Amino acid sequence: MNILPLVLYVVASGAYAVYFARRNEAAGRIATVTLVLGALTHTFVIGMQTMQVGHIPFVGTTGAISAFVCLLALAYLYTEMMTDERAMGVFIVPLMAILQIIPAVTNSVAERPAVLDSPWFAIHVSALLSAYASFALACVVGITYVLLFKELKAKHLGFFYARLPSLQVLDVMNSRAVAVGWLFLTLGLVVGAVWLVQIQPGSADPRVQAMSLLDPKIFVVLLCWVVYSFALYARRSIGWSGRRAALLSAIGFTILLLNFVPLGYFVTQSHNFY
Amino acid sequence: MNLILLGASHHSAPVELRERIDFSRRGVPDALSVLGEVPGITELAVLSTCNRSDIYAICEDAARQREALVAFMSSYHDVAESELAPHLYGRQGNDAVRHLFRTSAGLDSLVVGEPQILGQVKDAFTIASQGGFTGALLNRLSQRSFAVGKRVRSETGIGEGAVSVAFAAISLARKIFGSLKGRRALLIGAGEMAELTATHLRSHELHQIYVASRTAARAAVLAAKVDGRPVPWEDITEQLMSADIVITATGSASPIVTRRHLDTAMRSRRDRPLFIMDIGVPRDVEPSSGEVEQVFLYNIDDLRTIVRENLTRRQSQVDRAELLVEEEVDRFMVWLRSRAAVPTVVALRRQFETIRQSELARLEPKLASLPPASRERVEEVTRLLVEKLLLAPTEQLKSATDQETVAVYADALNRLFRLPDESGNSDSDAATAPARPTVPSPRTR
Repeated sequence: MNILPLVLYVVASGAYAVYFARRNEAAGRIATVTLVLGALTHTFVIGMQTMQVGHIPFVGTTGAISAFVCLLALAYLYTEMMTDERAMGVFIVPLMAILQIIPAVTNSVAERPAVLDSPWFAIHVSALLSAYASFALACVVGITYVLLFKELKAKHLGFFYARLPSLQVLDVMNSRAVAVGWLFLTLGLVVGAVWLVQIQPGSADPRVQAMSLLDPKIFVVLLCWVVYSFALYARRSIGWSGRRAALLSAIGFTILLLNFVPLGYFVTQSHNFY
Repeated sequence: MNLILLGASHHSAPVELRERIDFSRRGVPDALSVLGEVPGITELAVLSTCNRSDIYAICEDAARQREALVAFMSSYHDVAESELAPHLYGRQGNDAVRHLFRTSAGLDSLVVGEPQILGQVKDAFTIASQGGFTGALLNRLSQRSFAVGKRVRSETGIGEGAVSVAFAAISLARKIFGSLKGRRALLIGAGEMAELTATHLRSHELHQIYVASRTAARAAVLAAKVDGRPVPWEDITEQLMSADIVITATGSASPIVTRRHLDTAMRSRRDRPLFIMDIGVPRDVEPSSGEVEQVFLYNIDDLRTIVRENLTRRQSQVDRAELLVEEEVDRFMVWLRSRAAVPTVVALRRQFETIRQSELARLEPKLASLPPASRERVEEVTRLLVEKLLLAPTEQLKSATDQETVAVYADALNRLFRLPDESGNSDSDAATAPARPTVPSPRTR
């Protein structure tokens, strides 16, 4: 079922690329419409899976990736509509298409182990995935900021100068995405911690017992929290906006992505629910 | 019917002559009303800008009316024909269409792709249309020319990139700050270029323009001109902390703004971007200042390079734009030729309809006994029969590619079907109907 959104994301990626390269308005409209269809189909697929298994299908990394992609699509579309700016699509939508390959080929919903049978589960996972989507957006916006910044500094006004919005717009987008992401990340972590305190004493599940600050997945996500907290602090208190803020958000998301896919699949002892 | 154009532009005439034949001096409506009296002209439009004076006319006899237009230009502007004629160009038919389309697209402009011309073409045809000087043909031509102008600009990069130093500076500032609304600009020095850029900045709703000059009186004069505020020369360092855009043009032998100044200013600005345009020669801002984070320093040569690159980029789009124009000219000419066939088509249809009606009338006694539904059916069948019989000849006639073919077809149809003389019958509009003697002047309408 995850194949259809994948196909739509791939088509949207192509259309965004054509729009970006040739500044063809018709291609831009096709891109947005295809992405809207992709996001709707994806939401429908997740809804169907929820009905099928009786809980949100975010158990395990595969389900989480699918949900992350869907949230990213919605977050991006929201930004596109708010700013009336399509140039960013070419950087974000291909990332969604690539990640969506994993749920599309796996195509199964992980069974929910008894330990996750709690209302905290939906809040914990949804908050963290929303945070990841916001940070992904911030990262891509940050990268485009740096590309435009370099052209302006080098006085070589070319490809990106003609296509990207102003540095100011990109900086504001980055700052908002980081702030929203940080709120979700904090909420997700707090809910996770409270939930763990409740269940750890009585649980025999080895994964629950493995949950500690030293577990790679938990450790790295806390590291990300520190990076993004610093980014927020630096912007407010020492004036790190623009390029520095953009680089920080790119670093933060790179760590998150590593944590999400390779660590989530192969290393963590505590979060292996796939 | 012939479309002719007579005009002079920056390509053909020196500025001294262009000034003398500028229609805007007495107003285009006045020129139109005088031109409307020229016999044989059925439609008219006058395009007058600082770079061109073009007259578009629909007339019966191209050669004769061209001479009449030259005579008009000469007498109206009081310039001897012998002096004027070498600088005029005349175009006819598709060449005239091409000229207008190229003009709208900005291909004939001094600065290729400039945007103002499209609005000027629009105004010219609106004035002509409001005065009642245009008909079906020029109306269609003007609509197509706006569409071509827009299409060329959107499908090629011919109108992209600033092509003057002041606009290049503004577009850079907008790429850094987005909207310039509420931003502060600081002018250091009071040169002409600084004034020009400041004037452009004014139209972007800046919060304030501060002017600093070594001579306080000069600062006050320029501040008054650009609606800004003079500030003391000693306050420059302090002003650097709050300004967003700085323009320097002092002519000082040593830098006025040093890297040290900017290092200090940027610390208190907390990385808020600062765009500096140094148009002084020698330079007023220490070149290494550009290395400071969030300082965007452009000197006059950088800005000129941007302008040059933009012009080159626009030039590289000219061939694509010309192809689009050519495509549109062909499309328009096909439409125009199909118009030439209209009187024949109308006469042919009328002939067939007359036959149908007379046959129905002849059969009336027999049809009278039929129920109403059957009579309606007979009416419908005969009408459809006529439609179908006429479909192929109409299409063939309208799709003929040249006027000779249209004439041969029309002649053959006239003879074969003994069509009545079209001049007495055609009810088609002014563009294709035989000419009205002259355009009635607005006074008589």
